Amino acid sequence: MKAIFSNYLKELAPSLKKLIDELSSDYDYVSILATDSKGFSMQASQRNKSLTGETMMTERGCVVRVYKDGLYSEYAFNRPEADVSAMASRLKGILDDQISILKRTSTEVFDTAKLEDEPCELFVEMETDVMPEDADLGALMKKLKSYSDKAAGLKDYMVDAVVSAKSTHVCKMFLTKNRDMRQSYVYTEGSVVAIGVKNGKNSMAIQGVSDRSGVGIIDGLEEKAELAAIEVGEMLDASPVVPGEYEIVTSPEVTGLIAHEAFGHGVEMDMFVKNRALGAEYIDKRVGSDLVSMHEGANVVVDVASYAFDDEGTLAGDVTEIDHGILKTGVCDALSALRLGTKPTGNGKRENFEHKVYTRMTNTIFDSGESTKEEMIASVKKGYYLEGMFSGMEDPKHWGIQCIVARGKEIIDGKFTGKVVSPVVMTGYVPDLLGSISMVSKDRESFGTGGCGKGHKEWAKVSDGGPCLKAIARLG
Amino acid sequence: MTDKIVEILRASGADAFEVTDTVTLAYEFYFIKHKLDQNRVRDVEHINVKVLKKLEDGKVIGSASGEIYPTLTEDEIKSEIDKLISRAENVQNPFYELNKPVEFEASKNSDIDVSKIAEDFVNTMKEIPETDTEDLNSYEIFVNKNKCRFINSEGIDVSYEYPSSMVEVVVNARDEAHEIELYRMYEGGTCDKEGLKKDITEVLKYGKDKLIAGPTPQLGKAAVVFPTSDAVMLYHYFAGKSDAGFIYNHYSDWEIGKDIAPKAKGDKVTLKVLRNLPNSSKNFDVDEEGAVIKDTVLLENNVPKTFCGGRRYRCYLGIEGSSMAYNYEVSGGSKTMDEIRSGKYLEVVEFSSFEVDSISGDIAGEIRLAYYHDGDKVTPVSGGSVSGSMFNFVNEMYMSKEQRQYDFCLIPALTRLENVTVTGIE
Repeated sequence: MKAIFSNYLKELAPSLKKLIDELSSDYDYVSILATDSKGFSMQASQRNKSLTGETMMTERGCVVRVYKDGLYSEYAFNRPEADVSAMASRLKGILDDQISILKRTSTEVFDTAKLEDEPCELFVEMETDVMPEDADLGALMKKLKSYSDKAAGLKDYMVDAVVSAKSTHVCKMFLTKNRDMRQSYVYTEGSVVAIGVKNGKNSMAIQGVSDRSGVGIIDGLEEKAELAAIEVGEMLDASPVVPGEYEIVTSPEVTGLIAHEAFGHGVEMDMFVKNRALGAEYIDKRVGSDLVSMHEGANVVVDVASYAFDDEGTLAGDVTEIDHGILKTGVCDALSALRLGTKPTGNGKRENFEHKVYTRMTNTIFDSGESTKEEMIASVKKGYYLEGMFSGMEDPKHWGIQCIVARGKEIIDGKFTGKVVSPVVMTGYVPDLLGSISMVSKDRESFGTGGCGKGHKEWAKVSDGGPCLKAIARLG
Repeated sequence: MTDKIVEILRASGADAFEVTDTVTLAYEFYFIKHKLDQNRVRDVEHINVKVLKKLEDGKVIGSASGEIYPTLTEDEIKSEIDKLISRAENVQNPFYELNKPVEFEASKNSDIDVSKIAEDFVNTMKEIPETDTEDLNSYEIFVNKNKCRFINSEGIDVSYEYPSSMVEVVVNARDEAHEIELYRMYEGGTCDKEGLKKDITEVLKYGKDKLIAGPTPQLGKAAVVFPTSDAVMLYHYFAGKSDAGFIYNHYSDWEIGKDIAPKAKGDKVTLKVLRNLPNSSKNFDVDEEGAVIKDTVLLENNVPKTFCGGRRYRCYLGIEGSSMAYNYEVSGGSKTMDEIRSGKYLEVVEFSSFEVDSISGDIAGEIRLAYYHDGDKVTPVSGGSVSGSMFNFVNEMYMSKEQRQYDFCLIPALTRLENVTVTGIE
């Protein structure tokens, strides 16, 4: 079935177009992004159930972007007035107050050219299985509780299993004088957080599912629940890793974390504008071994960040960032592209209508290789198979990388010893890490259950992943 | 709009309800160097509604929540509330009652001029003492005027206003060979001009030192001193373990009156919830469920005195007179700052991201800049990581007598953990 576009936005469109006309007499460029995204978030654990109508991307509101005298300004609102002239007056009045602050403080403007407004009409309703509005939430809650019961009852050390499902019907409309772009799609994610305790020590393991589809994928949590319960046991019995440099084989999830933190944030080109990314100096230079190729874009895979156009009305893309170890290009929002003299890549995203656009990742994925996971493990003399991720942090200026990985399974002479270390802090210099990649597996996966911040804010949905990688890394 | 929603809720099949209406006017300014990249305004209202429905003769209660958009018509609001009631029937938890009204002295609302506060920030950032080699790469200023009204079916109806602000700053330092950056995010109520200038000036100095930083040595186990806002994460661990939700769900095994680390030989933690902290962005009279916030000791010398948290969990645990925690204070310890900074230790002033897992207590962070004190010698170092678990560190941690405030947390200015795993790169 198709994800039907919002009636609210359809009805709002004529007055927003009038607002664009009204503002165009005062500003040289006017665009409006209007959103109406509905969904639900539900959770069942051993002692709790909850259900809200909010997810990371549920919202209803508008943001107007205007341009004049080299400066872009924005006004975000969610109470549109019937009187369009009054709305325009309020917007102008409040932005003028901001301009008066700039004048009083003698602030210069970072002069930027005017965006082009090439004509474009687009109407996309993507396929899905179940709309969040139509999902049987009573049945779904029972399902989540049964998964929680199954995981919690599996082992004596289990104290809880928090099972959650979130589904969002995203509707966005981008309007200018010459553009009318509308898209509607559904994405869903689910997770199991298994929590255990042994000898006073708590630990947890996380498993998840995600896709640009409806709640049908939540069935996949049943086997994940059991897996998470077993993994938390391994972590409760784990010892700390002896700090040092090791051969590693990464699971596709950890591969995704490396992709995201290494050359995901590192080539977001709004960072190039601020001279905050070393990547700008390395275009067409080697940053990894020949086995390393990486793609980024909403069209790279189908997952939670696979849309038709971004929040500035740029069509979704598929960018080859690294080609056989050579850094080819980054990804770019529309304003950064103007400033850098390049083309936008469909990566201009907002946390929601209230937030500014930044260059953001969508789906960031390493290409597959020729090896099997088994061959890779057999080739390790002394090292770890790394799986499960907690968090990561980018450092585009210095190409440092921080990945907090859930656990490492020891490999000696090509075989698992049964010993597990946890947690594992993997750090290093990105070109050293990517340069050390010596094997890449044939299969690959994407993961979209988490959120991505820019610095420590601006949370957005992304997916990342790839195949298993064999490399050398510093663990602590 | 809120009154209309309350009227519809009273006439609906809901047995209880909560409504929170937040109106925000925000001014935002984004700078590259000191040139304005973009200016923005947020002018929004968000109304969140929670409905509760008694089920199984009142033994259990169902609940569901969602946002009621200010654009909805009366019929659409009725439909949304009916949907919430229907959803609530699928979410059954043991019965509890919402907070009831109590007398309290409301804080006086001062006039919040979002435009004036924003201008103060713009002026302050221009006064940072930059040099040819240490300067600001970029910064973003966010200033909010928030008006909040909370109503529930038990008769609570409170309104309050508060300012909140945030500045994100990226600092550069350079020499002939290369350029480095450091990152800070400052949050608070209004513009603390002197505090901001003092802190960013300190970061500019760190930038200079990062240029000459050597590789972090392989220290194995070492004492680590936390002198920045990263220490807040250490104390969030104690606040999290004192949360009624964590206790109820068995994520924390802390018990009232039972020492959390009986064999601890260092300083012991005393943690207090505060209703007000000067210039905090979280100076509220009531929590988000309408419970009046009072100064409350949660942990005294490592012994839990009560637990904070949401009404439902407090009700299940039989805890009265508490609320959710926003502002908190950790008392100073037994040591002077000089005593904390003695012997061999690593003082970390910049992590890529410092994380403390609230359930396991595991800590982790990549070192962007630290000072290794090896007797009389002090060496700036970079790279590698710190790791370990608060579960163990609580047995020997030391805190300075002096305190320092980071937005809603007043904590010891210096915190020292012993036997931290330090993975170097030397």
